[in-house]
Amino acid sequence: MSEVTESPGRISHRFEIRPDLGLFDLELGAVWKYRQLLFFLAWREVRVRYKQAALGVAWAVLQPVMVVIILSAVFGVFARLPSEGLPYPVFLFAGLIPWTYFSEALRRGSVGLVGDAELVKKVYFPRLIIPLAMVVAPLVDLALASGVLFVFLAWYGIWPTVNVLLLPVLVLVSMALALAVALWLGPINVRFRDVMHTLPFLLQIWMYATPVIYPLSMVPERWQPLYRLNPMVGVIEAFRWSLLGMGEVDVAAIGVSLAVISVVLVGGLLFFRRMEGSFADVI
Amino acid sequence: MSTLALQVRGVGKRYRIGARKQADRQGLLHRLGALARRSQTDDRTFWALQDVSFEIRHGENVGLIGLNGAGKSTLLKILSRITRPTTGRITVDGRIGALLEVGTGFHGDLTGRENVFLYGSILGMTREEVRRKFDAIVEFSGTGPFIDTPVKRYSSGMYVRLAFSVAAHMEPEILLLDEVLAVGDLPFQRKCMEFAKEMQRRDAAIMFVSHNMFSIKTMCERVIYLRRGRVVYDGPTDEGIRLYEEDCRTLSQESGLEGDGRLTVTSVEVLAEDGTERHLFQYGERMRVRIRYRAHEPLEAPNFIVAVMRADDVSCCSFSTEDDVASRPVVDGQGVVELLTPPIRLVAEMYRIFVLVRAKGFQDLIAVHGPTPIHIAHDLYDTHFGVFHEHGEWRWLDEAGSAASRAASDTSLTR
Repeated sequence: MSEVTESPGRISHRFEIRPDLGLFDLELGAVWKYRQLLFFLAWREVRVRYKQAALGVAWAVLQPVMVVIILSAVFGVFARLPSEGLPYPVFLFAGLIPWTYFSEALRRGSVGLVGDAELVKKVYFPRLIIPLAMVVAPLVDLALASGVLFVFLAWYGIWPTVNVLLLPVLVLVSMALALAVALWLGPINVRFRDVMHTLPFLLQIWMYATPVIYPLSMVPERWQPLYRLNPMVGVIEAFRWSLLGMGEVDVAAIGVSLAVISVVLVGGLLFFRRMEGSFADVI
Repeated sequence: MSTLALQVRGVGKRYRIGARKQADRQGLLHRLGALARRSQTDDRTFWALQDVSFEIRHGENVGLIGLNGAGKSTLLKILSRITRPTTGRITVDGRIGALLEVGTGFHGDLTGRENVFLYGSILGMTREEVRRKFDAIVEFSGTGPFIDTPVKRYSSGMYVRLAFSVAAHMEPEILLLDEVLAVGDLPFQRKCMEFAKEMQRRDAAIMFVSHNMFSIKTMCERVIYLRRGRVVYDGPTDEGIRLYEEDCRTLSQESGLEGDGRLTVTSVEVLAEDGTERHLFQYGERMRVRIRYRAHEPLEAPNFIVAVMRADDVSCCSFSTEDDVASRPVVDGQGVVELLTPPIRLVAEMYRIFVLVRAKGFQDLIAVHGPTPIHIAHDLYDTHFGVFHEHGEWRWLDEAGSAASRAASDTSLTR
């Protein structure tokens, strides 16, 4: 037993296995103990994504650039969408970056459990680690794409202001939202793979319901209160504000975002914990 | 006195029959509908485990045996916290290492080195711990030169060896092993056995699940025997294995080949050369197979056959009265016939003995009996050496082809 004291930081020791946990017992302590697994799973996601690709990580840069070129051509050149006085590609890129991160995080967070079914069936660890790792992994792509964005902005002669310091907070908010929704969709996906098939449509609809390719001002005034219930509205707007100094900080929109996120996140945590026990049996 | 590592009290696990299949087939809409109507259609359940209680102390090595579907895997999954029990309570004292399937969590596109760190963290090791033990892990696995190659290019043996090495170095205080020792080549298997013994010396509790009664016999002093989800035996290994083998026998009697019924083999005993009942034989021992029968009508020179099958269904050898010129012209009524085998040269493994009786020659099947399981032990020769092993004679010749030394052939006898 002396082994235990010799190696601090090991995960172990005296505990009970019971049929059910208390409703509010989130076992967040266990998640903290397994934080390194979270890191390794996220790291695996990143590694595997660009392995055996001739261009490797360059894809993380190329992909958003291609998307910006295509969407700018369609919506900026042909459809001539307004862009609040900014060059359309700049306007688009600044909105597309947080959206791409969010949709990737949400998608991977939701299907991650099923993707790692073997792990879930054969090894114990707090299952919460998987959606967490999945929303962390796309941060790497986000960072690389942001680098491209700053070069892009410099090219257009736009220099970041002090507002840019708010960006990390905004990233955290989108991460929380992606996680919150994934905590609901992930367990459902374990039982009904229908989620996996519906997700692309859901994300597409959600993107069109968010001011990514068009400005918020295009939304009719009377629909705005309803429209702002979408928590991503506040996030994307704040992103543009912090990067481009565009518009005002919409405190109301941010407040709505945070309120909606908190409710969905706490509910998601409880729901996830409730379902977790049967993952290995049904997955 | 050592402390309790595991205390299992009244554990049960209930599954819904076909819950998953229904979900797949009928889909979400149906299920939602069923939920709304509070339908009772999903109430068919079965208990994979029921009222299971036992204790394991630190330093104990316990075998978990049972036929397929007896609940062994379910129990391991509950102990390793992969799934939750429906009833009962388990107190665990110590770091649990569960090797239910080696290498789940390995990712083919990552290199051996990367996988060591990933798998280590999956098993609950910290990065510092893996880093500290990294060299030992690679050394133990013997995959050194390939450690920076993606593991999808590994042979399956290398893959498993690397995974096992990581697991072996997590130094659990409670180790749950599910037949993982049955992987890898012979030297590696030995390493694993030694590793398990070493763990035990360091006061770890080990629970070992296997269908190989020979490994159970060599590894465990105590077995827990599960039958249809319940503990039916918990005690010394020999008695537990006897019960298990009895059940295996009845099971195989219920299915399989059948004779035409003109003769019944009433019992088959496997005995040592001196006539005592035995199931474990050393390589090179002779074996007596005593067959009691009752013929329901006079049979002309029936052919009694004793066939030896290896655990993996390889037919190894057979003896027959006809072939050995030992048939009787007429067999009728009750009787006993006994075979004394030559020294058994089969390699260490579990075997099953079948007795078949055919009409004169090798024609119609009259009766079948078996299998009767036996084990053959040898500390070196196992299936990696072939089906059987015999010493050969070697001679060293000079270029002209005449014997250089006559002494060499004698050395083979002394080994």
